[in-house]
Amino acid sequence: MLNIKEVHSGYGKLKILRGINLNVPQGGVVALLGGNGTGKSTLLKTISGLVPVMEGSIEFDGQIISGKKPHEIVRSGLVQVTQSKEAYPAMTVEENLMLGAFTRSDSGGVRADLEKVYEFFPVLRQRRKVLSGTLSGGEVQMLVIGRGLMAKPKMLMLDEPSAALAPKVVLEIFSNIYKISQTGVTILIVEQNVRMALLLAQYAYIIRDGVIMIEGSAEDLINDSSVKDSFLGGTVANTKKSLNS
Amino acid sequence: MDFDFGSLLAFIIFGVTIGVVYGIVALGISLIYSGLDIVHFAHGEIYMFGAFLGLVLSQQIGIPYPGAMIGAMVLAALLGMFIERVFYRRLTRSGGGYTVAGMGMIICGFGMSVALMNVAFLIWGADAEPFPVEFGIEPLEINDISIPPSYLLTAVVSLCLMGILNYFLRYTKIGLAVRAVAHNKDIAFLMGINVPLFISLIFGLACALAAAAGVLVGPMQSVQVEMGYLMLMKAFAAAVVGGFGSLPGALIGGILVGIFENLGAAYISASHKDIYAFLLLILVLMYRPAGLFGVVAKVKA
Ligand SMILES: Nc1ncnc2c1ncn2[C@@H]1O[C@H](COP(=O)(O)OP(=O)(O)O)[C@@H](O)[C@H]1O
Ligand SMILES: [Mg+2]
Repeated sequence: MLNIKEVHSGYGKLKILRGINLNVPQGGVVALLGGNGTGKSTLLKTISGLVPVMEGSIEFDGQIISGKKPHEIVRSGLVQVTQSKEAYPAMTVEENLMLGAFTRSDSGGVRADLEKVYEFFPVLRQRRKVLSGTLSGGEVQMLVIGRGLMAKPKMLMLDEPSAALAPKVVLEIFSNIYKISQTGVTILIVEQNVRMALLLAQYAYIIRDGVIMIEGSAEDLINDSSVKDSFLGGTVANTKKSLNS
Repeated sequence: MDFDFGSLLAFIIFGVTIGVVYGIVALGISLIYSGLDIVHFAHGEIYMFGAFLGLVLSQQIGIPYPGAMIGAMVLAALLGMFIERVFYRRLTRSGGGYTVAGMGMIICGFGMSVALMNVAFLIWGADAEPFPVEFGIEPLEINDISIPPSYLLTAVVSLCLMGILNYFLRYTKIGLAVRAVAHNKDIAFLMGINVPLFISLIFGLACALAAAAGVLVGPMQSVQVEMGYLMLMKAFAAAVVGGFGSLPGALIGGILVGIFENLGAAYISASHKDIYAFLLLILVLMYRPAGLFGVVAKVKA
């Protein structure tokens, strides 16, 4: 569904990504893992067109999308869910959700999908008239995921949905992402919470300093001792601890 | 001079009517500020162009006054969109606000202001042109002071324009998208909004409001190439008093500036009428820099 070939990109003259190759099969869940500042968000922004591609190509759903504008890419069904704190705080929950459906003109379908999102995240229905700036961290995360769903995406890219959330909330968010993938939406998830991401994904890439260091099926990566030591060590231990407590 | 309640009321009414006009110009300045991250220093000249366009459409071509106003708004919007696309886009793309490009943008705005004034001078000359309009309504009499129909009409039309704008921004899909672009362009892009197009739209909208103000003020005073400068300053004062970027603030700021300067002219000195707006501006900046209704200043990365 998504094919990234030898992509280089960055900000102005500063190159961050140096030759990324990545593949997301239709209906699959793929995780992109790595520490802070390694280029994960930059890759998502490059895919969604916010950061220009310097070299290489990106293909989505059979079409080359590298070089297209972000609003055109959204219309082809590839939707990025921004990092958790990026709802519009001065707009109500419902306004945020309706904004997600900006590209659509089937008002009946939009209404139906709004209903679906409210069933998915009942707390959003309760708070639909509330300014989203007053929501808790977990609620904002549900809001931005719901807003992504309102675009009726073929593929959803999520940028660190677990960031700065309590473990219990993380579990809830991940189970929702799992349910979304069960409805046939392809998913690329960026995470630092390696344990959770590997439980959800079938396949994963580990990025470091703008280069893919390791890739493999989630099972292999969980059991790979060198991966554990050099990349996942602290994170896995911490997650285990917090999950057990 | 005897203190008399009726005339105080009349001065306040005069202040409010001219104040709502400052308000709609300030609204445009606020819109551009939130949408493009720049303070548009050539906005007074857009107002002046609007006044001349309205004059030409109604006096020379003979379109009735309401039609001339709408025509002037449309033409000014197109002019504004052209200026934004051709001259400002490069600068705003590399960042507004406190960046080097933001500084360049301020200078570019001043340059545009002088350029537009000279274009208007070439077309219409330096003389003040009267803009007589027959409104067909009686002046409103309050005690000894009569409020001319142009003032009444101005207040009503300005308030209607604001009401329409408020409805548009609050309850329509396009208005929602305008707010999204004004708040955060990257997220707006990810919602599938054509951000560059919307930036032009915001700019055009702000210019249309300025043109409406020009066509409204024209019949009260007269139309002249240099009329933009004072309007810019007063609208700027209104925007600051109300809190930059706040739309209701722009309206209330405009009204306060209007009342303040009318009372100053009436009770202190009429020949210094234009100073009072700046006095208010300085007082607000000293004691409430975020404006009366402003939230904490929006600092953009
Ligand atoms: N807008 C930007 N301009 C310049 N450099 C940036 C910008 N955004 C991020 N970077 C740099 O790019 C690198 C990768 O950042 P990012 O992709 O956000 O990392 P991650 O999401 O993996 O934490 C970092 O070194 C960061 O400093
Ligand atoms: Mg990131």
